[in-house]
Amino acid sequence: MVSRQIIIILIIKLLFMSTLLKLKKVNLKYQTGKDNISVLKNINLTTKKKETISIVGESGSGKTSLIMLIGGLERPTSGKIFFQDEEITKLTEDEVSKIRKKNIGIIFQSFYLIPNYTALENVALILELNKFKNSEKQAKSLLDRFGLKHRFNNLPSQLSGGEQQRVAIARAIAMKPELILADEPTGNLDTENSNMISKILFRYVKEEGSSLIMVTHDLKLANRSTRKIKIKDGKIK
Amino acid sequence: MEKSNSFYQLKLILIYALKELKKNYKKISSIIFTLFISLFILSVILTIEDSLKKELNDNAKELLGGDLEIDYNRNQGNLDLINQVKEFTTISTMIEFSTMFSTTNRKKNKSLFTRIKTVDEKYPLYGKVIYEPADAYERMQREPKTILINESLSKTLDIKINEIVKIQDQQFTVIGKIKSVPDVSGFVAFGDWVLTGKQTLEILKLNGIGSFLNYEYKVKFNKDDNPEIIEKKIKNIFKDDQKVKIRYPENSASGLKRIIGNFSQFLSLVSISAMLIAGIGIANTLLSFINQNNMSIAVRKALGFFSGDIKKLYYFQLFILLFIITVFAYSSSLFIVPLADKYLSSNFGLNINFSFSFFNFFKIFLVGLLVLVIFAIPTISSIDQVKASSLFRNVFQNLKFYYSKKLIAISIIMLSILILTFTYGSENLNYSLGYFGAFFICLIIFFLVSKLIIFSFKKLRLSSNISLKVSIKNITQTKSITPITIMSLGLGVTLLLTLALVGTNFKREIAKSIPDIAPDYFFVGIQKEEKKKFEEGVLSMDPGAKIEIVPMVSSGIVKINGVNPDSYIKPDNDSYWVIESERRSSWTKKVPEDNLIVDGEWWDLSRPNRLQISLDAKVAKDFNIYLGDIFTLNIYGREIEGEIVNFRQVDYRDLNINFAMLFNPDFAINMPHEYLATAKFERLDQFDEIKMLKIFPSLSMIKIADYLNKVTNVLNKVFIAVTIISAVTIVIGLIVISSAIIVQGKVREYQNLVFKILGFSKKEIILSSLIEFIIIFKSVIIIAVFFGIIGSKFIIEDIFELFWEFDLKVLFYLGFSVGLVTLVLILFTNIKYLNPKVYPLIRNQ
Repeated sequence: MVSRQIIIILIIKLLFMSTLLKLKKVNLKYQTGKDNISVLKNINLTTKKKETISIVGESGSGKTSLIMLIGGLERPTSGKIFFQDEEITKLTEDEVSKIRKKNIGIIFQSFYLIPNYTALENVALILELNKFKNSEKQAKSLLDRFGLKHRFNNLPSQLSGGEQQRVAIARAIAMKPELILADEPTGNLDTENSNMISKILFRYVKEEGSSLIMVTHDLKLANRSTRKIKIKDGKIK
Repeated sequence: MEKSNSFYQLKLILIYALKELKKNYKKISSIIFTLFISLFILSVILTIEDSLKKELNDNAKELLGGDLEIDYNRNQGNLDLINQVKEFTTISTMIEFSTMFSTTNRKKNKSLFTRIKTVDEKYPLYGKVIYEPADAYERMQREPKTILINESLSKTLDIKINEIVKIQDQQFTVIGKIKSVPDVSGFVAFGDWVLTGKQTLEILKLNGIGSFLNYEYKVKFNKDDNPEIIEKKIKNIFKDDQKVKIRYPENSASGLKRIIGNFSQFLSLVSISAMLIAGIGIANTLLSFINQNNMSIAVRKALGFFSGDIKKLYYFQLFILLFIITVFAYSSSLFIVPLADKYLSSNFGLNINFSFSFFNFFKIFLVGLLVLVIFAIPTISSIDQVKASSLFRNVFQNLKFYYSKKLIAISIIMLSILILTFTYGSENLNYSLGYFGAFFICLIIFFLVSKLIIFSFKKLRLSSNISLKVSIKNITQTKSITPITIMSLGLGVTLLLTLALVGTNFKREIAKSIPDIAPDYFFVGIQKEEKKKFEEGVLSMDPGAKIEIVPMVSSGIVKINGVNPDSYIKPDNDSYWVIESERRSSWTKKVPEDNLIVDGEWWDLSRPNRLQISLDAKVAKDFNIYLGDIFTLNIYGREIEGEIVNFRQVDYRDLNINFAMLFNPDFAINMPHEYLATAKFERLDQFDEIKMLKIFPSLSMIKIADYLNKVTNVLNKVFIAVTIISAVTIVIGLIVISSAIIVQGKVREYQNLVFKILGFSKKEIILSSLIEFIIIFKSVIIIAVFFGIIGSKFIIEDIFELFWEFDLKVLFYLGFSVGLVTLVLILFTNIKYLNPKVYPLIRNQ
């Protein structure tokens, strides 16, 4: 009886959750030499706000390409992508950048920190870009929250892999974005660090109510998401 | 065993070096290009200089016109002594003088102050006279009143063969044209001249001062005689004759050699600048290349390669590259020789041939090697910074130039060898050393400026503007390349501005009209009794003409404080011309308006019976003369002692009457003298040279405009050389600037990618690059302008002895153009980094 009630509540919640992202018949092709490679084929996907989604699939199936399309870092060959009901495929590169800097945080397997910026500068940069006052203070508090108080002035090369990824997460969530995109965030990390990173990510999503779309090979991590999408040969199965 | 192992290792490294070079030559194309250009310029300069000097040395006797030359300057000399020499040698007498040469039978006849060379039937003792038509030279010796003219004179006055012309008031027939004469060393190498038989002298009215007479006796030894014994014998014959100067083949063309030496020194210094700037570019490109190979170096290290072996691999590649480029650069330079030969034979009558010189090839290779190693040391040593552990962390830091104490010491030693290679044997050692000093001072100052900029911007906490913040961060960040950018940009822009300012000053000198205060004509050779008649003659044609007439006497400095100046003042002294032969001097009651006294007092009227001398201050400085020193002068055969009583600032470039020595009129008035006059006409077209010549046949008239034209022609040729070499250096400078940007290319590309992911707009990324450029360029241009002004002033005034003028408009225009070109170049080089494609980068492609 209780479980039926929960299911009904969940269904009602889902119905009332507004749409965050919508992909309509999205295709992505790449030209390599004379060959035309179809990376993503006819992708249709709708996600709601506060949803956590895992994308799984074999290597080369198109997972990272999908993340890049959603983040506006790549344009689809055909099809439409809507973010908060706005068609981003119609927008210019700078207009997409504007949406991304405020609403989308991206986390990579290879961290992508700026090598010549300290941990603090890497996090403060996104806050400064969004004209935040006291950006340094906020960046410090974020790093402190992730246990990096003693690493403020260290360059990425002086940090361990786990520490670098924590800086990258701090940078991605600094703007409290609606959507966090993570491309194998624990791919380069050991078990201990992987557990720590997944804990941080999911705790943050829960606390702040952000959405998370995450590409992962780690089934344990994938199972923590509310939805799991499998991609094979560029198609959602 | 150990030996064979190391040999095997070396062989392996060599094989890999060749393999890598084959794969990577496109990536280091800018190294290949800059190295080739700079080595090519150096090869061209060395090859032509060498060929020219070889030509001058090989043909020293032809250039001098004999085994030795007896020069009596303005006088016929002691004929008894000459006849004594004639007894055991062959002597050819040559008399040169300048006088008026005019066309006849034309609607409007023209005249020109021309050098005439009279020769006897024995001329030339060595070499050949080349002329046309076939029998012209023999006819000239045989038939009176016949002359041959050179190509330049033929063109200037448009004279045809068989045309009747006038020399002074005598008619002559032009029976041929001279292509070249062998003895160009003491003769005018360019300009207009006439060759004629010795009988001409008897027909013309010549005077010592006004005709610039010169008596020379060329001597040829008999075949079987020992030259050393004959030389001694001749010296002995003239040992008591103070008026004679004996010249030997080894001293022939000393003036020409000096010009060649000076000019090639200037070009060599510019070429070494190009080399050194190219070196900075090579260091930048190499660093960028090693950065690109960061991962493969780390992999090699992980596999067990020693850091030293990897460094050897890069040094080997550079060595192979340098050898190939040197061969190409040197071989290509040999093809320039025929072009230079064409120019030199038509302008100076000199013929040069190319020949392979192993010494020159080695010198070029050595210079290339030294520059390459000096600049490659800090770059290749940066390989030590690559850690195999980076592979595990996947973090590859951009490498930085690396210097240890040992490396600094090696670099200094190599630099010293490089400087020695360039300064040893150079025409003017001080200039070369000063140049290198200035170059390194510039380098140090630009380095300090970069440090100051980093320091002050680090202290600065400002602005909410993200682009400004990013650009400041780029400038001040750890391992910032700001110092190397400022040094490369600074040196490039400094050299560019210096050469551009030299070029514009040259251009101005060429284009400049005659100075306002300069007279229209100089008149030389006015006799005492003709003075009044001369003035009347000029005023009758143009009553508004302003005439200035000064007395003129010829005198030679025999002794300075009792010592023969020839014994301690060498021909490379700037003021050697004052003692070289007799000079014209004058006297005046008042201090000339444009000759200010810088030391001493004007004439002491209480001592009218004592010769007092006012001397050019520069001559005094060059000869180390003090007030009160005594000059013994030879004036018309009489030796007179005079005291130096004051020094004057004389600027010969204002084209007015200027003398190195002025005498007190109370004493000088009694000397036999002629007059020198200048005239500035109100109506120049009213002045008729031909009419004037009819009244004064021996008068020499030098039109300033014609004289300036000759100077302009020479300057034009120099300007072309300066422009070509400047253009090449500018190209190298620009390559260096873009190479400095390429060094940070990979980092910038990566950084901009992250910025893009974070949501930076394209405008913000471009703006940050622009702001960074403006901050750097602003500081560079201020210092470069300062150095450019000092450098160009020195080159124009001290080396070329021309007027240097500060022109703010030109400077602004140049600064702005340099900035704009550099900015466009930076944006062009940066463009691929400004908007990186995300997909390939994220996929590590």
